[in-house]
Amino acid sequence: MAEYKRPSCLKTTPSGFCPGCMHSLSTKLIAEVIDDLGQQQNACHIVPVGCSTLNLLYWKGDIVGAAHGRAPAVATGFKRTNPERLVFTYQGDGDLAAIGLAEIIGAANRGENFTVIFANNQTYGMTGGQMAPTTLIGQKTTTTRFGRDAATTGFPMKMAEIISELEAPVFVARYALNTPKGINEARKGIKKAFELQLAGKGFTFIELLMNCPTNWGMTPLQSLDYMESTTVPFFKPGVYKDKEADK
Amino acid sequence: MKKSLIFSGAGGQGVVSAGVMTAKAAVDAGKYATFLPEYGPEQRGGSAKCTVVIDEDAIVSPLAKKCDILVTMNEQSFKKFAPQLKEGGVLLLNSNRVTSAVTREDVRVIAIPVDDIANEVGNPKAGNIVIIGALIGATGIVSEEEFLESLKKKFASKAPQIMEMNAVALKKGVELGKSL
Amino acid sequence: MAKVFMKGNEAIAEAAVRGGCRFFAGYPITPQNEIPEYLSWRLPEVGGTFVQGESEVASINMVYGAAAGGCRAMTSSSGPGISLKAEGISYLAGTKLPAVIVNISRGGPGLGSIQPAQSDYFQATKALGHGGFKVMVFAPATLQEAVDLTYNAWEYAERDRNPVMILMDGCLGAIMELVELPEMKTADRAGTKTWALQRREGEARLDRMLTPYFPEAMLEYENTTRGKLYEKWAENDVMVEEFMLEDAEYVVAAYGISARVAKEAILRLREEGFKVGMIRPITLNPFPKKSFANLDYSQVKGIIDIELAIPAQMKDDIALEVKDRAPIYTYGRSGGVLLDDESTYIAIKKIIEGGAK
Repeated sequence: MAEYKRPSCLKTTPSGFCPGCMHSLSTKLIAEVIDDLGQQQNACHIVPVGCSTLNLLYWKGDIVGAAHGRAPAVATGFKRTNPERLVFTYQGDGDLAAIGLAEIIGAANRGENFTVIFANNQTYGMTGGQMAPTTLIGQKTTTTRFGRDAATTGFPMKMAEIISELEAPVFVARYALNTPKGINEARKGIKKAFELQLAGKGFTFIELLMNCPTNWGMTPLQSLDYMESTTVPFFKPGVYKDKEADK
Repeated sequence: MKKSLIFSGAGGQGVVSAGVMTAKAAVDAGKYATFLPEYGPEQRGGSAKCTVVIDEDAIVSPLAKKCDILVTMNEQSFKKFAPQLKEGGVLLLNSNRVTSAVTREDVRVIAIPVDDIANEVGNPKAGNIVIIGALIGATGIVSEEEFLESLKKKFASKAPQIMEMNAVALKKGVELGKSL
Repeated sequence: MAKVFMKGNEAIAEAAVRGGCRFFAGYPITPQNEIPEYLSWRLPEVGGTFVQGESEVASINMVYGAAAGGCRAMTSSSGPGISLKAEGISYLAGTKLPAVIVNISRGGPGLGSIQPAQSDYFQATKALGHGGFKVMVFAPATLQEAVDLTYNAWEYAERDRNPVMILMDGCLGAIMELVELPEMKTADRAGTKTWALQRREGEARLDRMLTPYFPEAMLEYENTTRGKLYEKWAENDVMVEEFMLEDAEYVVAAYGISARVAKEAILRLREEGFKVGMIRPITLNPFPKKSFANLDYSQVKGIIDIELAIPAQMKDDIALEVKDRAPIYTYGRSGGVLLDDESTYIAIKKIIEGGAK
């Protein structure tokens, strides 16, 4: 039996993520994979802006803080000049799918050899629950008080699908963190992405479907039900691209 | 003695490379030179102009309002830049393309049928070499030998026939420049 | 060392390589395109990396990432692109990362024109981004100076852990003249950069963090330290050319290409007996305050500020030093229209003759 313990890349600082928020879970999954791979010293975490910025306080390991949306550009400069490092960004909806669209598409299209982990909870958590590019039609946020209206705000962006359409990326997958099965698959997916990176294969993209009980106005348990009934059917989990397996 | 030159013409007439080659030859001969192209948003066509300053000493200002020597390869550039030639300056023009009469009497005019000569030597693109030849013949701003050396370096990687044609074009230009 | 007849933009690019630059990211914009074009083939030759970014925003952030990894990194652009880089430059300053940013400036505001101008003085010296930081700003007037300043730019950037800007107008970027290229520096990226996130052989786990995010009290401390750094620059790092000032009754103030045109005019005016000199800032930041403050105002009758900018911008810094001890006149062109020796000569002469009345 493996011993259950705190991953070595997480500080003992109490988490400031909201109760029931899956940021704690996803951060732990990444840290566990890094321990599994023995990459504690080699990993470099590019921390962007959003709730994910809180990782500056909880993450133990080399960190570079990036501007809002720019993590893939920062990772490009860092990884190109330090090719031996395991480099990953951990970005939220606004950071990756709104302000950082050019950077994520650019890096993915160049096939940069690092991993992007995309936390999709359909809202801007840190700034108080505004509409995100991923917000579902009809979903109420502080900037769509009567529900997101496609007529004026367009439609939710499916980033894993968009990224998988590009030629260069080698592994693109989406996992939902609302079930133990989904969590286990996500851990495996992150591990696979990191392994591909360490083997120098190229760009890997992991989208994690998550909750935001606080800004959704739900209890953590209600948020799990909502994910199962509403978000998971829309943002379908699965492997969207696996160049190595397709060979 | 500081000399400022303006090379002008239509895009594609080799005006800018004429400026670079002249400046380069001066530098290779141990002088100081600056070359300043005028750049625009168009990639092809339009007008081309560059300013070259040559001096025995380090060049203070590479920008000159009036020039000592004006090279014009077409009508449009002739009309535009003729007023910028200093009194007593040298005007070299391509008589195949400059159709209006030169009204200034305070300058030395050297009219060369540049296109005809370039066609004659078998390289229509060598018009700029012809006019530099005339420039050298008329003013001695750089020596023929110095220029030929720079030219050889520039065309070292090209087919030898091209360099042969260029050498003839240069020679014809020099002769005309001396005689006019 | 052989002298080479080179274009300004390419001279800067080669000087950067010789100064140890091994990473460049940039986005095309006139009139600086020869810098990325040159480095796209030159950097791989020396084991470096060139990335054509998807935007200026991405490019400056790539530079940020490379700098965090301990690599000498550079980006170049022109006015509109520098505005886009503002965020990244502020992050570099906030995170205390060295990098070199080249602005081959053109007419503005907005899209403006692609012709040379010096209208980014305020941007470069006062507010290259949010948050009230400063960077050293080098303003070469000859290509040799451009080469020398670029070559040494990382020495300042790494000493201070702060970005450095090379501010040069499009005219000098496009011009060709003779330059002497310095020897190649060894680009040892491990070096003494203890702050950079590099892996060194046999090193224990360090868990380092590079970020511009600080709790309030620490940020105040950092900003106070930055303030002291700027004061040190003013004390130790000013570069200025003082030309024919001993007996000068009129002092021209100009930098970059304007200073070269002005110098030509001054030489002509001197021949005619006019007592004119010049102060040419080479560092716009730190500004050569003392050169202006310590002029003999019983002798100096006026300062003539000449810039490719209307309204004049450097004038404000001069005025702080001159105070009301002499009138400050301005002459310049703007929007991409260039100065020329003849008109500049006439303009200075008019000011002197008008001022003498």
